[in-house]
Amino acid sequence: MQFFGGSEISPSPPVPTATGNNAHMMYIFNRNGVCLLYREWNRPLHTLNPQQDHKLMFGLLFSLKSLTAKMDPTNAEKGNLGIPQLPGQGCSFHSFRTNTYKLSFMETPSGIKFILITNPRTGDLRETLKYIYNLYVEYVAKNALYTPGTLIKCELFNTALDQYVRSIA
Amino acid sequence: MGREVSESCIDNLLMEMVSTYCNRFYANKPELAARRIEAIGYQVGHQLSERYTMERPRFTDHLEAIKFICKDFWSELFKKQIDNLKTNHRGTFVLQDNHFRWLTRMSIDQSPENGASGEPSIIADDKAVESMHLYFPCGIIRGALSNLGIPCAVSADISNLPACSFVVRIKA
Repeated sequence: MQFFGGSEISPSPPVPTATGNNAHMMYIFNRNGVCLLYREWNRPLHTLNPQQDHKLMFGLLFSLKSLTAKMDPTNAEKGNLGIPQLPGQGCSFHSFRTNTYKLSFMETPSGIKFILITNPRTGDLRETLKYIYNLYVEYVAKNALYTPGTLIKCELFNTALDQYVRSIA
Repeated sequence: MGREVSESCIDNLLMEMVSTYCNRFYANKPELAARRIEAIGYQVGHQLSERYTMERPRFTDHLEAIKFICKDFWSELFKKQIDNLKTNHRGTFVLQDNHFRWLTRMSIDQSPENGASGEPSIIADDKAVESMHLYFPCGIIRGALSNLGIPCAVSADISNLPACSFVVRIKA
C-alpha cells in the first residue's frame, strides 16, 4: 500500500512555459500591509477574491516571521521583531516550498516585503529578490510621479520587472 | 576638483524642490511656480558656466557657445553630451538629449486595467508634473548662456520620454 511519495498520486509541478516564464506571481507589500503591487504571470487557480488574497498573504508572512524568529535555537538574545534589519541579518525566513510551488520572501529594512512565487525547482532566489528591490528603488522610489504608500503604477518598473522575471532559471 | 555629492541626493532634492514649489508655495499658480523654478535654474547655470569655462578663451560666436553647452557643459552635468543639435541659422537651436538623466525614472501607467488611472485628467496631470521638472534644466541653460553674453529664451519639449529637446531662441 502506498500512501505517500508516489509521483503518480501527487500532482506534478507545472512545466515551465515555452516563453521561459517560470514565475507564477509576485506581491509587494509595504510596512503597513498595503499591497503595492500584485503581478500575475501564470496562475490558473484563483481561490479567493483579491482583497482576501492579499490579506491572507500579508498575515501569513507576518506570522511566519514571528514564528521563525521566536523558534530560533541559536539566538541567545531576546527577539528583535519590529527593528529594521538588513536582509540576512538576525533570523528571518526566506522561502518555503510545496510540491507545486516555491514561495520566496525578502523584507527590506524599510519594511517593504517582496514575495515571489515560482515553480518548485527554482534555486535560491535571494539575489533575485535583491535585484528586484534595486529595480524598485530605481523606478519607483525615485519616480517623481509616485506617491509612497499607494499602488505602483509605473510603466518602467513593470516592463523591467517582466523582462527580469522572464530570465530567471 | 573639490568634493562630490551622491547622485541620489541631487535627484531627491530636485524632486522635492519641484513638488514643494508646485504643491505648497504656489499651490494653484503653476505659472509662478514655473517661473521660480526656472529662476533657481538660472542662478545655478550662471555659476556653473563660470566654473566650467575657467581655463578657456572667449567664444568667438554663438554657435561655439552652444557647442560648448552641448559638449563640455552637458558632460560635466550629466556625464554625456547632447545627442543632436539642430539650428535654423537664424538664432534658434534645438538641443536633443535622447536619454535625459533627470527624466529616466519617471513613468506612469497608461494601461486602463488599473481602474481610474486611464482617465485623461490624471494623464494630463502627470504630463504637467513632468513638464514642471523641466523648468530647472531650461533655467540652467539660460543662465549658462547669459553668463557667456548670449541672452536667450529656453523651452523644453517632451513628446517622447525619456528623450527631450531644449529649444534655445537667441534674442537678437
